Amino acid sequence: MKKYGRLLLAAVLMVAAFAGTAQADAQITIALGSEPTTLDPQIREDGGERAVNDNIYDTVLGRTPEGDLIPSLAVRMPELVDAQTWEVTLRSGITFHNGEPLNADAVVYSIKRVIDPEFNSEQISFFSTIKDARATGDLTLHVITDGPDPILPTRLYWLKVVPPKYSKDPKFAENPVGTGPYRFVTWQRGQHIDLVRNEDYWGPAPQITSVRYRFIEEPGTRLAGLMAGEFDLITNLLPEFTAHVPKSVNVLGLEHPIIILNADKGVTRDVRVRKALNYAVDKQALAKGLFEGFAQVAQGQLLSPSFFGYNDQVKAYPYDPDKARKLIQEAGAAGQTIELIGTSGRWLKDRDLVEAVADYWKKAGLDVKVRIFEFNEYLNRLFDRKTRADSIFVVSSNELLDADKSFSAYYKAGGVGASNTDETLADLIDAARSETDEQKRESLYHQAVELAHDQAYFVWLLNIEDIYGLSQRLVWPGRVDARLLVKEMRIQ
Amino acid sequence: MSPTSADTLEKALEKNRYERVEKLLELGRELKRDKAGLIGVILITALVMMAVFAPMIAPHDPTDQDLTARLAPPVWYEKGTWNHMLGTDHLGRDVLSRTIHGARVSLWVGAAVVLLAGGFGVVMGLMAGYLGGRTDAFVMRWIDTQVAFPGLLLALIILAVIGPSLTTVVVVLALNGWMVYGRMTRSAVLSIRQSPYVEAAEVVGCRWPRVIFRHILPNLTSPLLTLAILEFARIVLAEAALSFLGLGIQPPATSWGLDVSMGKNYMFMAWWLVTIPGCAIAVTVLAINLVASWLRLISDPQEREKQFARHMAGAMRKKMQASIEKELKAP
Repeated sequence: MKKYGRLLLAAVLMVAAFAGTAQADAQITIALGSEPTTLDPQIREDGGERAVNDNIYDTVLGRTPEGDLIPSLAVRMPELVDAQTWEVTLRSGITFHNGEPLNADAVVYSIKRVIDPEFNSEQISFFSTIKDARATGDLTLHVITDGPDPILPTRLYWLKVVPPKYSKDPKFAENPVGTGPYRFVTWQRGQHIDLVRNEDYWGPAPQITSVRYRFIEEPGTRLAGLMAGEFDLITNLLPEFTAHVPKSVNVLGLEHPIIILNADKGVTRDVRVRKALNYAVDKQALAKGLFEGFAQVAQGQLLSPSFFGYNDQVKAYPYDPDKARKLIQEAGAAGQTIELIGTSGRWLKDRDLVEAVADYWKKAGLDVKVRIFEFNEYLNRLFDRKTRADSIFVVSSNELLDADKSFSAYYKAGGVGASNTDETLADLIDAARSETDEQKRESLYHQAVELAHDQAYFVWLLNIEDIYGLSQRLVWPGRVDARLLVKEMRIQ
Repeated sequence: MSPTSADTLEKALEKNRYERVEKLLELGRELKRDKAGLIGVILITALVMMAVFAPMIAPHDPTDQDLTARLAPPVWYEKGTWNHMLGTDHLGRDVLSRTIHGARVSLWVGAAVVLLAGGFGVVMGLMAGYLGGRTDAFVMRWIDTQVAFPGLLLALIILAVIGPSLTTVVVVLALNGWMVYGRMTRSAVLSIRQSPYVEAAEVVGCRWPRVIFRHILPNLTSPLLTLAILEFARIVLAEAALSFLGLGIQPPATSWGLDVSMGKNYMFMAWWLVTIPGCAIAVTVLAINLVASWLRLISDPQEREKQFARHMAGAMRKKMQASIEKELKAP
């Protein structure tokens, strides 16, 4: 009896919820895959936290939906004062939701907070070159880097500005206060987070008045909720279901699944084998079949066409199984064992991709030993610097849209996930890192891309599109940087 | 050795052999009487044969993928083909072939784990229940501690030490599953050890291993069988959960449970990915249930008595009916 009572209560509540949405028509519900661990915008590297806080906080610089850097809290793009100093000028008259003024001191405070080693931020890799910051006026400040850093503006795109006084309050992590288009209302742990429109926002007023975030881990449950009209936006929709949902949006995303090949040991030491592994995989079939067309073949580099450093002269290795078999024969590698390491459930279709690639390699004449590990154990193998596995599957995501991040991690010898010891390649990447001349820098990356492609240090697979499921009434074009900015959404 | 003693030995062996054949025949006759049990035995035999001869029966290589023909429906749909009778999965592999091959891992893991965990758990439970005192306290605290220890963590530790494989799965599941047998056996032993036949055995001077294995264990057959069958179904699914996380069998090998958990994402549009291996699990569990309930009937003296009584009652009813009819027919 008690059980039925509860069911009844749930039904009543659901009806009430629907009635609620019908009345205030500018309220939307977004279903996320994971709940934020904190709402402090500077401490964690956490997708759930980012999805919410991107709407509460503003960054110094922003991006257009297509990915071009634009000023946000800054009134214009930062300017170089000398090789290591950038000047940032802020907009005037902006205040935080609690009334604290947004000025140079607040930005300096935010920079110092995130780079403080004691604060131990997981986002430190985004700001690793910043050494110091100091205010030079009420609205102007200098950011000092530890060497020439041409992508500092890109880093400032990641910098959320926090209120200097209130952020010292222990309640700050549960009760965030920013300058953004939405204010925080409540966080019912395990249930939902509510935001409401900031009527004093400095930018154009958004149309949507309030947002509720729900946290649903199972993709099937998210889908069912969307179909039932419970949600207006769901993330990570499976490509197979785009035809079933009311509306879907797909944007070429930041995620690149690749396979890192060990260039120093094992069967993959031979460049012919590494090339064969590239020729053996039908990337077109993966994109068209496995991803139902919601992915594009990666053009032999760990970059999307919109990223800085993309080399449009380099193309993907074509699918040529005969050539692959022949190369493997030539290298005397036929029948040899190759270990392929992957994980399951972390990225869209990760396990499926590994299994599909393994079958292609098997057909090319290798004995493929697939090892799917639980995610933590998988990370141990991926970042194991002492013994590198023959081949490791990984999905690299590059939020800075600049070659530096992916290349330092996977291309450069000694990078956290690199499996080669190519000095020339490492020198190119190092040189590009501190080259301030944009054209020279780009040409350095072009050379790096070409070198890695010729040496086949990786099997480049795809560039996956982010797919969102939308309710009939929601209008949103999507963004290349995958930020869920509610201010850009509209209700019909 | 004198010729006479060799002779006697020969005779004894002969008699033994004869008795064994006789027992087997008796079993066969019992089976014929119990239709449900017969069906169960036939099904299990068929499943085991299917697992053993999988490469010969399966129409396709279970790992052969075709990304252009993924998620093809079974043959009775408009788009289905006889080539892939039960459709294809998300990588374009033949579902029927995968189900046939999956039987190998699922049946093997299920049987091995139930035997290992059951064997160890029952022995521990028997000793704890019968010997009592310190042994009991030790075994029960051990069980309490292990039940409190998260199973997945244990699995992770073992994985880090020996690496994922079929053996790892069996070891992990057995290590995580023996406690329930131990607890149940112990509680059953506690009630049985006061019974007259156990006391009689003790008075005669039987040592404790003989008492627990010859006198107590046979009387626990029916509850233990029931538990083992329930566990079998759970184990098949637990193996899938471990394999899905990467702690179990590695691709391209597969099992029913793994196929079910992989197909779950596509359930809304391709039901056959989940349903067909799922049906295989259901049929296996059903078959084992039928056999087990039959085994329980013939192994439990009380049940046999009841069965005998039913049989006699039926015969008497028939007799009486016949005599009444006879009387009615008679003028």
